[in-house]
Amino acid sequence: MEQVPAKNEMASHSPAWNIITSYNGPKVRIMEVCGTHTHEIFRLGIRHILPPAIELISGPGCPVCVTPVSFIDEALLLALEHHVTLCTFGDLVRVPGTKMNLADARSSGANIRIVYTPLDAYLYAKNNPEQQTVFLSVGFETTVPAACLAVKKAYADGLTNFSLLTANKTMKNAYRALKRSANAFLYPGHVNAITGTALCESLTQEGISGVITGFTANELLTALAVILTKTKEGRPFFYNCYPRVVTQDGSKTAQSLIAEIMEPCASEWRGLGIIPQSGLKLQPIYKGFDARLRFHLPALTGRSDPACRCGDVLQGKCKPTDCKIFGNRCRPEHPIGACMVSNEGACSAYYQYGGNL
Amino acid sequence: METTITLAHGAGGKQTSDLIAHVFKKHFSNPEFTADDAAVLTIQEQKLAFTTDGFIVSPWKFPGGNIGKLSICGTVNDLACMGAKPLYLSCAFVIEEGFPLDQLEEIATAMEKTALEAGIKIVAGDTKVAGKGQVDHLFITTTGVGQIMSEAHTSGANARPGDAVIVTGDIGRHGCTILLARNTYGIDAAVTSDCAPLWGAVESMFTTDNNIHVIRDATRGGVGTVLYEIAEQSNVGIRLNRPAIPVDPAVKGVCGMLGLDPMYLACEGRLVVFAPKKTASKLLEALHRNKYAQNAAIIGEVTDKMPGKVIVTTEIGTETMLPPPGGELLPRIC
Ligand code: SF4
Repeated sequence: MEQVPAKNEMASHSPAWNIITSYNGPKVRIMEVCGTHTHEIFRLGIRHILPPAIELISGPGCPVCVTPVSFIDEALLLALEHHVTLCTFGDLVRVPGTKMNLADARSSGANIRIVYTPLDAYLYAKNNPEQQTVFLSVGFETTVPAACLAVKKAYADGLTNFSLLTANKTMKNAYRALKRSANAFLYPGHVNAITGTALCESLTQEGISGVITGFTANELLTALAVILTKTKEGRPFFYNCYPRVVTQDGSKTAQSLIAEIMEPCASEWRGLGIIPQSGLKLQPIYKGFDARLRFHLPALTGRSDPACRCGDVLQGKCKPTDCKIFGNRCRPEHPIGACMVSNEGACSAYYQYGGNL
Repeated sequence: METTITLAHGAGGKQTSDLIAHVFKKHFSNPEFTADDAAVLTIQEQKLAFTTDGFIVSPWKFPGGNIGKLSICGTVNDLACMGAKPLYLSCAFVIEEGFPLDQLEEIATAMEKTALEAGIKIVAGDTKVAGKGQVDHLFITTTGVGQIMSEAHTSGANARPGDAVIVTGDIGRHGCTILLARNTYGIDAAVTSDCAPLWGAVESMFTTDNNIHVIRDATRGGVGTVLYEIAEQSNVGIRLNRPAIPVDPAVKGVCGMLGLDPMYLACEGRLVVFAPKKTASKLLEALHRNKYAQNAAIIGEVTDKMPGKVIVTTEIGTETMLPPPGGELLPRIC
């Protein structure tokens, strides 16, 4: 059995802890762009130790939170009118569309299957050749390779009943779009494990600062301390505080798989609008696997609940608790906005961990 | 005799009696095992605990046990939580047509062994066969009777400020084992279920010091759910010390990968015990001598602040709320 450290041992002895708690410089806004970071920061109660000058913003790092309403509407159209089988990651079924969510559609008879990897969707299509199967392809560089692999296999098998509704996203241009929302980013360790460090490193030339970090208490505190120390120096900076996992080059295999199957495109982010070159769609030779083309989907503009302030939350313009319907009309068991759906969403994390306890 | 279960095995005729003779009687035999319509039990004037539980688990066999062992442990542990010595048990099987007989025997053998260990006698049973596809392999329902020790007064409503909170071992193993055994995640990790009969552990606690306020087994919903239930029933606050909560490193690793909290994964061989602090340290010594409770630990205390809530002191010394239980456990997607 693991030996557990005595209570507070790490907290009171770590230099990072001291740097953070004794910080008295100018105001610093730090944005985490990974849902897992958001969740861990809440679980560890890191916000409670921050002096008022340090503000943590939960940015657009959870794939569910940035999925636009129109994407859910497209999925609903496929399920209810084209009667396809939708394969999706679990959290997505509770994201509100304009009129309903996918869970509602399932209750009214739509065929919606929860899968854990895109390969399960491909296998389902292969085993059920009479059934058109669409995989709802959301997620960042971490999940894209598996979706690409599914397409590659379906192509090799000549499947004609498998396609992807893509809403995949890449982070680089999101950092640019969010540049003014924060002084520094906590870069997502999982994503950088795929993309490598070069991308974030080059952003310093555009005045964008940040630190790649992992997910333990120690890793998170260290990264915050580095940001505070470096911000004081006043120059844009980049540090890799997660070298045991993230290398300079990242995963070449994953990168070339993505480049082989997909290409960049403009993409809509919930609350942030359309960001150029921030999404991925299928390469022309794989366009037979694009659900939008296969089913001639019209361009849809979704409408979210007017009270929902997810977009402001994602940009740090307000706290979840500033949203009028936080905790009353919008709760994890009945989410109105996407940030309340996944337990990595900012609103959900705020709610579950007792807000400003 | 055939090698798989057929509908005829459930029809009540010769094949049914063959099945009972060859599988169930063989493994469950004791003087009170009934061939009649009901078992006859002799119980003196006593306070009894009486409980029933249905078991559906997919896959039916997993590292550390199978549905048979689980069905005995579940009922034995429910009785044990009331301070009741397990006495008699009945079991009802719903078996899918086509289920292999040797596997049924494997399940019956596990039941026999576990019942023997727990000191409970299987005295009555029922077998039904359902058509192919109507059940997932087999379902088992067990019902148990136990004799409550005169000194036992445990209830979820009895937690009091000043009590220590004990768990009798590392948490979340059964839930984690089942998730992995379903093989949907492509994760390989050496995790075995904690499924175990716990009457021995409970008895040793009562013989050490009977000032025990609450005993609950942390099955579905895990330790987190049980703590919230007790906080509410007793109208007290609970404060946990996160670093003191025992979690197997492999379970921690899997939870990290899937974004799950072991506090909300099921256990099948773990109790949550509330007792005044002085009693608790004695109980802990007794538990450490039991083979299913060697990693028992005090993980927190009861307070009169924030009744109904569970607060966690984290590994870095901050305080957060334990997210209240709710909804399905969904692994994260990035
Ligand atoms: S509380 Fe709900 S409605 Fe308000 S911003 Fe968050 S997710 Fe949107």
